[in-house]
Amino acid sequence: MALEFSMRFDLKVALRYLLSNRLQTALLIGGVAIAVTVFTFNAALINGLAEFQIDRVVGSSAHVTIEPAMPRPAVAPAADGAERLVVSQTALERREQIKEWRSVERIIDTLPGVTGVSHNIIGTGLVTRGEQTLPVSLKGVEPGRLAAIAPIDDNIVAGEARLGLNDVLIGRKLANDLGIGVGQPIFITSNQGRERTLTVRGLYATGVDSLDARLAYVNLDTARVMFDLPEGLTEIEIKLADIYAARAVARQLADTTGLEAVAWMDKNQRLREALEGQGNSGSIIKMFTLITIVVGVASALLLTTFRRRPEIGIMRSFGISQRFVLSVFMLQGALIGIIGSLVGCFLGWGFSTLLASAGEGARRLPVDPSLGQYDVALLLAAAASIAAALWPARAASRIDPVEAISQ
Amino acid sequence: MTDTQLPLLEVSDIRKIFVDRDFQTPVLKGINFTLQRGEMVAMLGPSGSGKSTLLSILGTLMRPTSGSFRMLGRELTTLAEKELSDFRNQQIGFIFQYHHLLPDFTALENAMFPHAGRLWRETRTGRERAAMLLERVGLKDRMNYRATRLSGGQKQRVAIARALMNQPALVLADEPTGNLDRENADQAFALMTEIQRETGSTFLLSTHDRELAERCERRIYIQGGVVATAPAHRMPLRVIAGEVAAVIDHTGGSPPSDDSRQRA
Repeated sequence: MALEFSMRFDLKVALRYLLSNRLQTALLIGGVAIAVTVFTFNAALINGLAEFQIDRVVGSSAHVTIEPAMPRPAVAPAADGAERLVVSQTALERREQIKEWRSVERIIDTLPGVTGVSHNIIGTGLVTRGEQTLPVSLKGVEPGRLAAIAPIDDNIVAGEARLGLNDVLIGRKLANDLGIGVGQPIFITSNQGRERTLTVRGLYATGVDSLDARLAYVNLDTARVMFDLPEGLTEIEIKLADIYAARAVARQLADTTGLEAVAWMDKNQRLREALEGQGNSGSIIKMFTLITIVVGVASALLLTTFRRRPEIGIMRSFGISQRFVLSVFMLQGALIGIIGSLVGCFLGWGFSTLLASAGEGARRLPVDPSLGQYDVALLLAAAASIAAALWPARAASRIDPVEAISQ
Repeated sequence: MTDTQLPLLEVSDIRKIFVDRDFQTPVLKGINFTLQRGEMVAMLGPSGSGKSTLLSILGTLMRPTSGSFRMLGRELTTLAEKELSDFRNQQIGFIFQYHHLLPDFTALENAMFPHAGRLWRETRTGRERAAMLLERVGLKDRMNYRATRLSGGQKQRVAIARALMNQPALVLADEPTGNLDRENADQAFALMTEIQRETGSTFLLSTHDRELAERCERRIYIQGGVVATAPAHRMPLRVIAGEVAAVIDHTGGSPPSDDSRQRA
């Protein structure tokens, strides 16, 4: 008995009401819990899927790519309000390259969180083997930094990840298309018209078809010759510890070097669109779970209010304030919301964990139980329950005692 | 009671008209009377005469259409809802025909509800006073029973304790024994009279029970929405039905012939 002296009396009344109709209370808490389970599982799935997709893309590509600045034609200042039309013909401009890459590297060295840098010359060419000719992207990299961006050394399926001046690494699919194996020579013509015979040193398989069929790695010095770029680079690739810092790093690099610097999320528009689409559909599901909570809690509490009309009338008759009555019903909504969403978070986490460990390989759902947004779910579900209680609580506090008592 | 003492309650020309669409139903047509401190007054009248409406208005649960009443020197018809609620909590106790206990709470919790509800928490003083009152109404061993486990008479005694919880100046009782058998009604009434004498509160109770009304110090007769202000011995003995509406009886003499019990 003495235990209850400090408990708020409105809370005591709210609890007593919830406990007096255990079935309804259990159903309400269950309803909120199911909604929150859906919410958190949905978050764990959508966010896990996004992480999975990002990881696949970002794991084997650069986080920030530095490219030559687009040449800006000199334009005379126009008179106020006058329109300027500038026509420039890119093909006639000088070839784009990063000549000042050594000073850029010094700037990159000062940036925190950079885990890898690759100096590249990218160009196109044709591979010829017997009667076959196929288009190919040539990527010239420094042999020591071969795996700075993509884990090519891990993806080698035949031969070795070594790039001497006369070596080339090609994808397994390209090798199949050409009918060629490790140790055999191929003839390559660059788009600058330079020709070279290189030896296939290794075959890799990244799992991405467009890479495995189209990309060939060569030594940077070999590329300099083939693309006629004795000094410059065509791009610098950077890998970061925190992939979400890419935009900030890109902006900083663009500002300090005057070159183009593009973050991975801006380079992969399709990925971004896919992520946004998934995010939006996830948001719609979350919104519906919240609406379910509001409708369920509001209708049940409204019924409770109606059933307890005479009691509320009696309370009002001995001078219990409208605020007290309001508080009793708001607290019922809050208690249902908090308990229900706690149970729901627990269920959502359990369900996600169960599914994350079920299935194997590609059949496994990319659910990540740690991305269930439990804090958001807890907050929103509790807020939704309290909001849902507002209307019934106001109705309860405005009950006319005389009418209610004579009922 | 001395003449110089301010009356507890002064009611002047209270009228109440209920409006339902185009129909106007005048229920109270100008009620005038005063209650002195420490009085126990019975209000008699046929069903539908407006007794309950008058009690609701005096209990500040309903506003009159016109007229005014002062309690403890304070005009109550002009107070805002929140002030009325506070005033009701401190100065008015209600006892209803149907006990109207809160079924999910124990006898003790029911009794101290007006106190705990005002303070938003239960206090030791509140609990002790509620326990004392329940002991006074003979429910010492039933304090922790849920309201639903008490008999009709016991429930009404809890309701009496609840009405007295905040030491109100005025206790309004609407047919407090109307739902009890003779024995329980007598018991409850005796209890109210004793407590009224002990506490010095003023009781105004409406009843159909002539026998109980006789035991009050004073009786007010209401009929057709009005009260007569003159004591009975000065009233004309011949009552023309429907014309003379009500009589206040100071002497304990016989009430008007159209007694509500015979009608009901």
